[in-house]
Amino acid sequence: MKSHSNIEIRRCRPLLGTFVEITARGHDERLLVRGIEGGFDAIERVNRLMSFHDTLSDVSRMNRDAFPKGVIVHPWTWQVMKASKRFAEESLGTFDITVAPWLTKWNYLPRRRYQFSPTASSRDIFLRRNYEIFFRRELIVDLGGIAKGFAVDRAVDALKENGIGCGIVNAGGDLRTFGPASQLIHLRHPKDPIRVAGAVRLRERAMATSGIYFERRKYRGKYVGPLLDGRTGQSGRELISVSVAAAECMAADALTKVIFALREKAAGLLAQYQADALLLERNGASSWMFHSSCDTSDGTRFD
Amino acid sequence: MKSEFVFIALPASALIAPSAFAIQYLTVEQAQQAIFPGKSFTAAPVTLTSVQRKVIERASGVRVLHDEQKVWRVSGGGWFIADEVVGKHEFITYAAGLTADGSVKQIEIMDYRETYGGQIRDQKWRAQFVGKTSKSTLKLDSDIKNISGATLSCRHITDGVKRLLAFYEIALKH
Repeated sequence: MKSHSNIEIRRCRPLLGTFVEITARGHDERLLVRGIEGGFDAIERVNRLMSFHDTLSDVSRMNRDAFPKGVIVHPWTWQVMKASKRFAEESLGTFDITVAPWLTKWNYLPRRRYQFSPTASSRDIFLRRNYEIFFRRELIVDLGGIAKGFAVDRAVDALKENGIGCGIVNAGGDLRTFGPASQLIHLRHPKDPIRVAGAVRLRERAMATSGIYFERRKYRGKYVGPLLDGRTGQSGRELISVSVAAAECMAADALTKVIFALREKAAGLLAQYQADALLLERNGASSWMFHSSCDTSDGTRFD
Repeated sequence: MKSEFVFIALPASALIAPSAFAIQYLTVEQAQQAIFPGKSFTAAPVTLTSVQRKVIERASGVRVLHDEQKVWRVSGGGWFIADEVVGKHEFITYAAGLTADGSVKQIEIMDYRETYGGQIRDQKWRAQFVGKTSKSTLKLDSDIKNISGATLSCRHITDGVKRLLAFYEIALKH
């Protein structure tokens, strides 16, 4: 361990429906503990604002009232809605936060009595001034495909604001490293979680993974995964896992869903975000879609 | 911006590094100070009667696996409870801090361990590993610190906390 960061504090709490782990390195234990508190506070705030389950969250308020009257949301929620719209446009609709009706139908999310138009999409969401969100049609949004990454980014901000120079925030597998030292990240194998599919070194970089892991349910006799192509409502079949590394965890998180649907066709989008992707297929094949470089100086990458 | 687009196919053997994941975040004493900084703690363990168990299970909808509940009374009010939950893949000990009026102050994971007892169900997938690995038994690999991948649900913790709140109503509230 380097002399300038001789203490490591690591904490884990159940948040965002998963386990959120924050690691901070430095030499002042009290500073590290305070910074970690700040990180968890940020994540709890995102949790409160963007939970689909919490009836008081911005997401629930939007789903109730953004059509027809519009809802004022927290700037963070607004930011995520704006990014979601952008990802929907850039991905030709494959990333779409309005797929919730399908998920609800498959029991991934709680059943609600919300009304929704079956053909509604992100195009029907409008961002107005003063953080107002308006839906042009009846629709349901679920930020589950992007809020976790956003939460990780906000936690990293909070840690830095608290004077932490080096650490990792890992929200159930969506993570971001910051600071001068690179971190070894193992990738869980989707088909056999006892094993790791490989390892990658990341420095100042986020990584998110979406996959069909333990979560598979039967719907009309077919197994479906929680990942959907926003255009068709069909769940991805051949790919079982997509990992994306990018500068920010929100982009990494959203891009995993886009790659799931578009695969190679999303190469341009990956390039735009200077992101890398690793795809694992059901038959065991794996491949990199590679643009910018992760920190691969020690050659660890996937081996 | 220069765009590269390269595929690198990995051999099947690249996929077989065996591992398990275990980490201790906090000891009981550390968790106590993390949730109630500067307070002192008096052990006040509770042994549930079978009637109490049933009432807790009915109120929380969660099964009670142990009659013994590790409880500490916190100086100045409040409770510290050390508890454990067992999931399909994971064994977790955690601490719940309750305020004097029985609301959740903070939850901290103390130990997290993933264990996989079962066989790999997909035979086709498994065939790829035959002859390529020693089928090594689970070992705790201290090198694995950060995992990207499946988002593990924390539902068992959520259920555990529900059970603890019912336990509070029955056994701690006066």
